Amino acid sequence: MKKRLVSVLVAAVMALSLAACGAEGGAATPAGGGDAAGGSGDAPAATADAGSGEAITLNMWCIATESDSNRHSYEAAIADMAKNHPEITLNWEAIENQAYKTKIKAAVAADEMPDIFFTWSCAFLGDFVKANKVYCLDDAYKAYASELPEVMMGNSTYDGKHYGVPLTMNIVGLFANMDLLKQVGYDEIPGSYDEFIKCCDALKAANIIPFGCAGKETWCVTEYLESVIEKSVGADALNDIFLGRATWNNPDVGAAVDEFQKLVNNGYFDPSGAGLTNDEVKANFMAGKYAFYMNGTWNCADFAADEAFYQKVKVSEFPVINADKAKLGQLIGGPSDTLAVAASSPNAARAADYTFELGKLICHYGYLDGCGLPAWTPYGDTSGINGLTQAVSEICAKADSYVLFGDTAMSAEDATTYLSYVDQVYGCQVNGTQFIEGLAKDIR
Amino acid sequence: MTDQVVVKNPQAQRRKKNLILGFNIFLFLLPALFLFISILIAPIVVSVYRSFQDWNGMSAGKWCEPNIFQNYIDMFTNSVTMNFVVALKNSLILAFFSVFVQLPLSLGLALVLGRKPKGERFFLTVFFMPVLISTVVIGQLWLKIYNPDYGLLNSFLKLINLDTWTHIWVSDPKTALGSIIVPTIWQYVGYHMLLMYAGVKGVSPDLREAAMLDGATPGQVDRYVVIPIIKPIIRVSVIFAVTGSLKAYDLVFILTGGGPQKLTEVPSTLLQQQLFLANKYGMGSAISVMLIILCFAFALLITAVFREKDN
Repeated sequence: MKKRLVSVLVAAVMALSLAACGAEGGAATPAGGGDAAGGSGDAPAATADAGSGEAITLNMWCIATESDSNRHSYEAAIADMAKNHPEITLNWEAIENQAYKTKIKAAVAADEMPDIFFTWSCAFLGDFVKANKVYCLDDAYKAYASELPEVMMGNSTYDGKHYGVPLTMNIVGLFANMDLLKQVGYDEIPGSYDEFIKCCDALKAANIIPFGCAGKETWCVTEYLESVIEKSVGADALNDIFLGRATWNNPDVGAAVDEFQKLVNNGYFDPSGAGLTNDEVKANFMAGKYAFYMNGTWNCADFAADEAFYQKVKVSEFPVINADKAKLGQLIGGPSDTLAVAASSPNAARAADYTFELGKLICHYGYLDGCGLPAWTPYGDTSGINGLTQAVSEICAKADSYVLFGDTAMSAEDATTYLSYVDQVYGCQVNGTQFIEGLAKDIR
Repeated sequence: MTDQVVVKNPQAQRRKKNLILGFNIFLFLLPALFLFISILIAPIVVSVYRSFQDWNGMSAGKWCEPNIFQNYIDMFTNSVTMNFVVALKNSLILAFFSVFVQLPLSLGLALVLGRKPKGERFFLTVFFMPVLISTVVIGQLWLKIYNPDYGLLNSFLKLINLDTWTHIWVSDPKTALGSIIVPTIWQYVGYHMLLMYAGVKGVSPDLREAAMLDGATPGQVDRYVVIPIIKPIIRVSVIFAVTGSLKAYDLVFILTGGGPQKLTEVPSTLLQQQLFLANKYGMGSAISVMLIILCFAFALLITAVFREKDN
């Protein structure tokens, strides 16, 4: 009898717990369920008034981890926002770059996005916009239009509507350890491609590895490959290919890929780099293992922060390979780092205003730290900006055109295909002709 | 009339009792059944349904074109972005080493420890320790061992004047897969050893003594008495080793990320890549369905092989 009573009680508890689970799920639906129509631009007004002082909590995901160059700018901006908006509590979480791409896509698929999230512009954000998961920022943008030029919003504008707040803009820079270059008789980064190759040969002869590249993160290989292609075929041709306006089957691109493979086969790249992450390669470069490091100019902050290394490092743009088609000033990069607001956010309108203010501050602090050039009109005293960022600023001032990073410009599916081919090019498993023919076939 | 009622009543009562009993059993099974269906069956059904769709995980999916089986066809034919055949081959190589290297090692250790050597508990703990350590930690540990510049392995080879044997272990196409196999085997030797050790300990000492009295050596006792008795446990270990190899993900992701040039991809890393990097949820679902089929097929095959041997 006692056993029976216990069994009945256990069954009752289990049944109740199941019922409770069901009730909880049902109640949660409206909050998380921000349905697709909510964010597509013609969304109904958000539940909370953007200007109201009612206390709310916003959640944000970004990639400003402890080791990220932008960490300080996020922390400073968030601290300022906490002072300016005590009624808004921001819970923020930073996730490592590669893992973040997985996490945010899973969250979008499950409709469990935070109110504010970091994203890359163009196709990456475009996929989310197409799925109606992003809140349209047109209304909020009006108040900031004078400080944030429309041209900077271009990469996060879809069908004429704005969906992202750009932070800083960056280009791919050719960083050089001048101490190592001096050892082989170079006081400046070589300006012509022939001279550049001679310099690499001299470095190799002196047992200095010319390039460090993280093969474990294919985007790092694209920083080299895209620069070589752009300086061979010109910015317009590459841009047309990335944006799907021209076919990949371009013999000039094939020849540029072969040129890149020549650099690999000549032993200019650190062979152990193929198994390293970008953080490891960057640390090696700062430790004096490589003479050159091609990567985003967001690294200026970290290079400038290391006083000893800052004295040795210089930045330049990659030299022109084919002067008939390309020229100096054609750069890889542009405003890509962006903050966006989830359509499912119950406080989307206020989150939109908050995101603009926060974005402006991150941009401000990021610029001062040397994490990139400002997408917003700079303000305050900017005289203390490090020399590297100033050099990048000078390069950009003479810029002729920008081609956005390939994996950002393309849709996720195409970018995955593209990166697979880049990986094989770096491993010399396909040559230039196979690269262009394969991509022309596989990227529809 | 009265007699008839008396005769009918016990039957009706029994039926009623059985009905109540059946209902009670159903009621008690209901929570578990609900969990089983919602956690296991429903996701599989949804995956099968999605595997026939071209779906990016965000917008509404549409049926694959031109063939409803297009995801499955692409899985075996698209060799650049999604080389499932290579991934499957890698998993099978891993399974081969698990079954023919890891399990014999585990069995050997279990048999030795089963003879109650001095320090039995200590060695049991030491061999089992890698199972307790997080795979992420183990991955990082082996990355440090493999590091071409300061790694333990290359340093040791240089120390014994075998400089020519040094490698960039995790990024050399010739050594990358081997670099994954070694820590995987090392990590789970203790796990299988513990399973088998429990079986060895369960063998009656009377049987051992009887065999010894008949003049069997300790090796013969293990071979002719202990191993046949623990065969069901060995079968379970083989199933775990093979299905575990098919599902391998964490160590591969940490050590090589599927590289260099996708040569160390396994089905699970492909699955992650297709789902979260390429936004191809339809293809990801197809890979997961294929993994489920393969795991079931291998489990049945192994069971059948052991049954055949028993017969």
